[in-house]
Amino acid sequence: MAQHKVNYTQNGGLPIALTSVDKIVNWGRSNSLWALTYGLACCGIEMMASGASRYDFDRFGTIFRASPRQADVMIVAGTLTKKHAEFIKRLYDQMTEPRWVISMGSCANTGGMFNTYATVQGVDRIIPVDLYLPGCAPRPETLQYGVMLLQKKIRANHASKAQKAKRLM
Amino acid sequence: MRAYTPKDNVQAKPYYTDRFYKSPQVAKFAPQSDEVFNADLEAIKAKFDVLDAFIQVEQLVVYINAKDNYGVLELLKDELEYTQLSEMSAIDWLADRGGFEVFYQMLSMNKRKRIRIKLFIEDGQAVNSVEKLFRSADWSEREMFDMFGIEANGHPFMKRILMPYDWQGNPLLKTYPLQGDEFAALYEVDKIYGKEAREEIGPEIRDTARVDRYDSDRFSRLGHEVPKGTEITGNEPANEQSYQEDGGVFLIKKFDKESSVIIDDPQR
Amino acid sequence: MAQIKNRLTPFFENITFDRDDNELILNFGPQHPSSHGQLRLMLHLQQEQIVKAHPDIGYLHRGMEKMAENMIYNEFMPTTDRMDYIASSSNNYGFALSVEKLIGLEVPRRAKVIRMMLLEINRLMSHLFWLATTALDIGAMTVFLYAFREREYLMDIIEGYCGARLTHAAIRIGGVPLDIQDSFISQLKDFLDKLPANIKDYEDLLDTNRIWLMRMEEVGIVSKEMALSWGCTGPMLRASGVQWDIRKEEPYELYDEVEFNVPWSDKGDNFARYRLYMQEMRESAKILYQTIDMYQECVKNGDTKLMAHAPKYVSAPKLDIMTQNYSLMQHFVLVTQGMRPPVGEVYVATESPKGELGFFINSQGGPYPYRLKLRTPSFWHTGILTDLLPGHYIPDVVSIIGTTNIVFGEVDR
Repeated sequence: MAQHKVNYTQNGGLPIALTSVDKIVNWGRSNSLWALTYGLACCGIEMMASGASRYDFDRFGTIFRASPRQADVMIVAGTLTKKHAEFIKRLYDQMTEPRWVISMGSCANTGGMFNTYATVQGVDRIIPVDLYLPGCAPRPETLQYGVMLLQKKIRANHASKAQKAKRLM
Repeated sequence: MRAYTPKDNVQAKPYYTDRFYKSPQVAKFAPQSDEVFNADLEAIKAKFDVLDAFIQVEQLVVYINAKDNYGVLELLKDELEYTQLSEMSAIDWLADRGGFEVFYQMLSMNKRKRIRIKLFIEDGQAVNSVEKLFRSADWSEREMFDMFGIEANGHPFMKRILMPYDWQGNPLLKTYPLQGDEFAALYEVDKIYGKEAREEIGPEIRDTARVDRYDSDRFSRLGHEVPKGTEITGNEPANEQSYQEDGGVFLIKKFDKESSVIIDDPQR
Repeated sequence: MAQIKNRLTPFFENITFDRDDNELILNFGPQHPSSHGQLRLMLHLQQEQIVKAHPDIGYLHRGMEKMAENMIYNEFMPTTDRMDYIASSSNNYGFALSVEKLIGLEVPRRAKVIRMMLLEINRLMSHLFWLATTALDIGAMTVFLYAFREREYLMDIIEGYCGARLTHAAIRIGGVPLDIQDSFISQLKDFLDKLPANIKDYEDLLDTNRIWLMRMEEVGIVSKEMALSWGCTGPMLRASGVQWDIRKEEPYELYDEVEFNVPWSDKGDNFARYRLYMQEMRESAKILYQTIDMYQECVKNGDTKLMAHAPKYVSAPKLDIMTQNYSLMQHFVLVTQGMRPPVGEVYVATESPKGELGFFINSQGGPYPYRLKLRTPSFWHTGILTDLLPGHYIPDVVSIIGTTNIVFGEVDR
């Protein structure tokens, strides 16, 4: 168990921090970003690696959930094909708001090297994307940096207001 | 209606070929040069017509009539110990010869030999399914049907396997462009959002060399992003990327570069 | 946020659930944490027992064969990385070898040794990854964390060599582009010295674990006839009683010079496959020790060539390109127009970690292959689920998919 030191001289001697509702809600949201396991291709392996022992994603409060109902952020890791496209839309619609999408890797961003008949040229044709991570495949560090940027983005929002509708590309 | 463009000449072409260039051939040897292959070939010849046979890159290639494919594979499996069908597919020769070449790649583990059975079929002709002999042909034939449109007679479930069931066109034909035809271009948009959304979502960007340095959607100008729709002057102030706000974050310790330890040895 | 309108109908609209025969249809995937990618299974169930299974693939079909027909040979090399992305170098190697066989190239010995090192490191990486994910699917989280830890060491070694963790593109047609870095051998030796203890750790955790045994033993039995008929190769075939390893039977590279055993079993169940993977890791380590010796011998003999000398097909070394006019011209032609292999056909099979990885190339003398067929083992290892799953229960599906070791980049290509 972590030992938390309490400064009894501050805040009237109580272990209390005063803040606004916005900040506390955003603090909670940004530090428990549960991600949907959406490993589609090679990037999915790097996503697993960032969840595994060396990179340890749990430090960020990011835990992979298999159900869209329990997930806050969808990490689209890999090539999205035209056959799969309808399922990403279904899963995105099943996620509860507020929800965010990270497009991980070149294939998810723009179609990448697979400039072919079967590949969707960027997931932003199907669902709105908050963050694009470059690389083929991006390293786990990139994904972690991306999650930190997303946390910053969440903190900048007003938690009490409804999210603005995101537009497709 | 969408405008369809002719697709006879859609494959990549070498942009320059020397007029006097004559490509060499991979060496072919007579089947008699290998004892095992010769015996196998004789066994096939005893029962079926063999159009051509030679050894190329350590493997025997046998050309047979299209109607004999089941019989030859049965003979190979039951009597000549070729117990595995490693691979089967087709080659598109529609432009040159008006048909397809179907090949069956067989493996004998006892003899450590590989044979390739090849046959030629006309456009629209079906092959006999060998799914009863080798279960692996079940999926291979479906893949061949999906990619070339060649049907297999007697196959239990002749449907597309790799592409969606409602797909149009056979991708591996030489008349099918690499980047898809008109149907493929907006397939997912039509399916998910309907044809009304085509305008809004727009065409696919297929030009890999396209660089738009003022595009805020993409990351071509890292650190100089501007919101979409703003007027670009070209001298926007740099927008430094940092993952924490300057004033620190509520309840979170600010990361201090000076007090951190950098691990040089990754094997530590 | 307002829902963006779409016209997707409920997915099960066309399936009748209320059937007279008490059958339930369960849809598994295409996004499922234990489907190892994008496998979709339609399972017909009687109570908990599967009576009919219908695997649906193609959710990762990216059209690689079509891409190959529109690319020069060297351009296609990085694309092969994305087939079996757990062990990229083995795909690079399979493609490089088949083109070399087509044009009749002989690769220098030092390059062969480096290639063998890369191949076996990739095999270890793939098997460790297999162990990690399968154990995770069955619930053994500790093994997942342990195996990923070891895999990261190997990734560091590979990264030091080619700069990429996952998609290596480390092998070229005609050899390898680089010599191994200085720390390669020492890092590899450190790893290999620790590996037996690590494997023992996994086995201590799993071998006598009651849950593991219940999920593995006598589950997913593939008979010899079934494995042969379905075109199974690699560990799937060897677990079913056929001792067939292409490295041993049709040796390529220097596999005929190294000593190793081909483990096999006649049980054919999940547990046999698990034991086989563990044993193969030990054999790979054995091969790697021998390749280290071979490499040091090459260094001692002053054997420095890394690329074959074939000006028609392979660019000259960088130093020559920078200093000699003819080499520069040759390089320019090879990069812009591509090599033109002779007219002919070739099918070359190599033993990738998953099984027989074959490349069928039909060349018509142009810079692009006329037809390239990728024979990937996982395609048939997925197909066998049609016949394998009926009779099993729902929890067994996960462990069977796990031990077949399918990778969807390879299945759908």
